[in-house]
Amino acid sequence: MKPDLRVTIAGMEFANPLMTASGCCGYGEELAEVFPLSRLGALVTKSITLKPRLGHPPPRTAETASGMLNAIGLANVGIDAFITDKLPFLEKQKTRVIVNVAGSSASEYIEVCRRLNDCPRVDMVELNVSCPNVDEGGIEIGTDPLQTEKIVADVRKVFKRPIIAKMTPNVTDVGIVARAAEAGGADAISLINTLTGTSIDVNTWRPRLTYNRGGLSGPAIKPVALAMVDRVYNCTRLPLIGIGGITTADDVVEFMLVGATAVQIGTALFVQPDAPVRIAKDLTAYLREKKLHSVTELIGKVRKY
Amino acid sequence: MSKYSSERVPVSRVRHLSPNYHSLKLGPWSRINECRPGQFVHLGLPDSEIYFRRAMSIAAVDTGSGQIEIIFKVFGRGTRILSGYHKGDVVDVLGPLGVPFTPPRQNETCLFVAGGVGFPPLFYLASRLVARGRDPETIEFFYGGRTSGEVVERQRIRQLGVRFHPVTDDGSFGSKGLVTEAVEKYLDGHPVKRPRMYACGPDGMLKAADDLARKLGIPGEVSLEAPMPCGFGVCLGCVVPLRAGGHARVCKEGPVFQIGEVLL
Repeated sequence: MKPDLRVTIAGMEFANPLMTASGCCGYGEELAEVFPLSRLGALVTKSITLKPRLGHPPPRTAETASGMLNAIGLANVGIDAFITDKLPFLEKQKTRVIVNVAGSSASEYIEVCRRLNDCPRVDMVELNVSCPNVDEGGIEIGTDPLQTEKIVADVRKVFKRPIIAKMTPNVTDVGIVARAAEAGGADAISLINTLTGTSIDVNTWRPRLTYNRGGLSGPAIKPVALAMVDRVYNCTRLPLIGIGGITTADDVVEFMLVGATAVQIGTALFVQPDAPVRIAKDLTAYLREKKLHSVTELIGKVRKY
Repeated sequence: MSKYSSERVPVSRVRHLSPNYHSLKLGPWSRINECRPGQFVHLGLPDSEIYFRRAMSIAAVDTGSGQIEIIFKVFGRGTRILSGYHKGDVVDVLGPLGVPFTPPRQNETCLFVAGGVGFPPLFYLASRLVARGRDPETIEFFYGGRTSGEVVERQRIRQLGVRFHPVTDDGSFGSKGLVTEAVEKYLDGHPVKRPRMYACGPDGMLKAADDLARKLGIPGEVSLEAPMPCGFGVCLGCVVPLRAGGHARVCKEGPVFQIGEVLL
């Protein structure tokens, strides 16, 4: 019998635990040319803000050892164009749609989520309270437990479907912020967003990014992400979505063993656009080999010393 | 099969054109018939320390043997590793990607403006035009480099029969000066009927070519290069500003843009 890849988060069923990570698949249009989006558990859009954003000037990405730095700057079409131009395409896709929301103030998050509440095909929102690449909002909220709790609670009043709070790793204890999100009424936690980093060109003595610093992602951050998922799994009751350098089915298994119910695939999409399809196939093979009937049997089953 | 499925392809021939310039033939590759001049491939280097793919313009296509050729200059870690590849080594090829050049109309004269490592896509375009029956003498092929060693594959260009105008900054080969200066000087002395420009090269050269074309009212296209994590439009890492406002993705809306379209 084929192992069951379905997982459930906040009462909502997903075809498999593989989601795209925000900012790594646009609004799904390009990725749909690579493979049918129905192969994903969910597509997570890039961050949507109230007004359109052009983003930072180039260069805004740089390669690092086993990863990348980016300071795209939340370039996006804004909520109005998202609903009129981008959502109709996503509504036709046979996958869960999770819209990532960012803002420079609490009122911006609330307004965007209020409008998304009127779009029934948006299954969940993911609150990006953790982007390191904007001057206002973003990470400032996500490093402060009180602000995090308040913004989740405020969004809770206007968005009636599940809310995911996306954690920044750039804090002393991610568990405290996760508990604050739980207290505010979040239904799930996704973690981690990128780690703040930079890189300097030794010939020009200039940073490789015009924003001077950026967010580090890719396999380089996987051990940090795993430790943080483990930490949050042991201090909240919320389902977790693991993010950070996931490239292979083994990576997915690791994240699920330390407590993730699902995972998001980000930077790996840039290197292998069909990574989720390949990972799903390998994950099925892994479960067969381990004689497991369901992928959920992995969740939190790490055997610690 | 999705057009974004990558394929492991062997290196079938290696040539070192100069200390810095190298040519690799890759193949057989199943996508060979889909390639158009101006497009690029995104090369993954399996089993290397290089994480991202590297965008490489296509320099030549041999549909008979199913091989493409890339010609590149060593700039950083990725190209250095690639320059050490041998026949039989394997690369992971994604593509062909991006918008190709628009072919010229029959009555147009082509002004090719190549600078250094901007040469490969223009060589592919010229080869294809000639192979499809265009009179090679309607192609003015300007090709500039800093020194003689930066103007590679001269013999192959000459074999096409195009009107070859080599230029070097130091005058060690061809005429002395900048390639765009040579184009302007040539046009001064030789009125060209219905010119159409195709330019590819370093940023400064592209800006000068774009400025010149706009000044003289010459239509045409420029081919850009940018750091490109994904190559298929999702990461937004390779954007360039447009003259009309906003950004365009070099990998998706480009790498070929109309003269005057991009704020260079």
